[in-house]
Amino acid sequence: MDRISEWMDGELTAQETRVLVERVKQDAELRHCWDTFHLIGDVMRGERALSGSFERRVAKRLATEPTVLAPRAPTARRLATYTLSAAASLSAIALVGWMALFNNPLPPQSPVAQAPIPPAPVAAVPPAEQFVSVPSDGTMNEYLMAHQEFSPSSEIQGLAPYIRSVSRSQQAQGR
Amino acid sequence: MTPVWFFALLGLVAPVLAAEQDGIAWLTKMANASRRLNYSGTFVYQHDDRIETSRIVHFVNPAGGEFEKLETLDGPAREVIRTNDQVTCYLPEAKTVLVEKRSARRFPALFPEQLGGVADNYAVIVAGKDRVAGYDCQVVVLEAKDRLRYGHQFCAEARSGLPLRARTFSEKKRQLESFAFTEVKIGGRFSRDQVRSSYAAKSKEWKVDHSALVLKDVPADTGWTLTRQPAGFKKLTEMKRSIAGRGNVVSHIVYSDGLAAISVFIEPLPKTRPARSLSHQGAVNIYVRPVADHMVTVLGETPAATVMQIANSLEFTRGRGR
Repeated sequence: MDRISEWMDGELTAQETRVLVERVKQDAELRHCWDTFHLIGDVMRGERALSGSFERRVAKRLATEPTVLAPRAPTARRLATYTLSAAASLSAIALVGWMALFNNPLPPQSPVAQAPIPPAPVAAVPPAEQFVSVPSDGTMNEYLMAHQEFSPSSEIQGLAPYIRSVSRSQQAQGR
Repeated sequence: MTPVWFFALLGLVAPVLAAEQDGIAWLTKMANASRRLNYSGTFVYQHDDRIETSRIVHFVNPAGGEFEKLETLDGPAREVIRTNDQVTCYLPEAKTVLVEKRSARRFPALFPEQLGGVADNYAVIVAGKDRVAGYDCQVVVLEAKDRLRYGHQFCAEARSGLPLRARTFSEKKRQLESFAFTEVKIGGRFSRDQVRSSYAAKSKEWKVDHSALVLKDVPADTGWTLTRQPAGFKKLTEMKRSIAGRGNVVSHIVYSDGLAAISVFIEPLPKTRPARSLSHQGAVNIYVRPVADHMVTVLGETPAATVMQIANSLEFTRGRGR
């Protein structure tokens, strides 16, 4: 996500951009992030109207805000107060906007997001049962060793991955 | 499609394909260098906020034979020795030797046949240069195309292709595991003594656990299949075998996406029925679950969800005539 904002700010080198573009192409979550950042940017610059119901919700929330009962003050100060509260309201809107966007589980309603995105392979993964993964206690060493022989990663890295089947964390507790 | 359009399209696609081919060529080069070069050095294995330093020596005898020795440098002494078709772990603290006998030929021949799968499941990117252990090296990034697998980054010595660093990243781009040389000598002459175990004599009185593939049956139909095979994973092999320290014959099925592998071990239930459990060792996730009268252990260097999907969709189908 940080990379995306760096990219939007033009802070990435051509090389880094190339890697990131590849990632964005393949990662639905990153694409969503990209879309969201642009939507936020557009809204803040006033280039895109928020939905009517959203504006109404914000107006309603503002209306229920307690009114500040300040003693009468010279006009200049009152003007400053108005300006400040206007600014505060604006940033409140911006903040609510941010929160709404990030809490909204649905993709933002931007044209980009509405374009048919091919169903991400993510959908193929059923929600994993909630298990807490604990460090292996050494009882799996023989299996790790038997597995290692068939892993293409051993083919690339030689014997090094076998360190997993004799790793110290296991030694301490297990064998 | 007019020829103009065709060539315009080709112009867009060709560089992408060429870049991918380039990445695959680097992977092949790494695998070859690991197997064929003599090298010795010190490497650091990092996982779960732990760091372990080990010494590795790889020696190819011109007259034939591949020898490799891995020796831990901190904590209790441990050694892994590869001598052609046999891998032996010496665990002096437990006075135990684990012996893994392979089939006569390295099995299966993973490269380069497997590499087709790599490009289907990962974006292979030749990403730039770096320096590891004093050598200039080429960075090769494998970005997972979905969440069923992890991302990888290799740095291969620029001339020989020897992998000097290998990192694995989670779906959230967090580093799970890293192997990196801090010092390495590539080439040179080695003697057989450098790849012999320091415990060869002492270990004669230790407990020795053998495990072996049941050769006449490789590959064997174990009768187990998956109802939901994770996308991009193919069955590499299936066999019945023994596992060091386990009395029973174990069914072993291996699935791979070209780079990562997942092993399924199926054996009769032990006396005490095991609870379902999930554990990990570096980038390897391990899931144990009882299925009817069997205990199923699934492990591999993939996200836990992939390992669990395989474990949860395992079915015994022989009874249905398959």
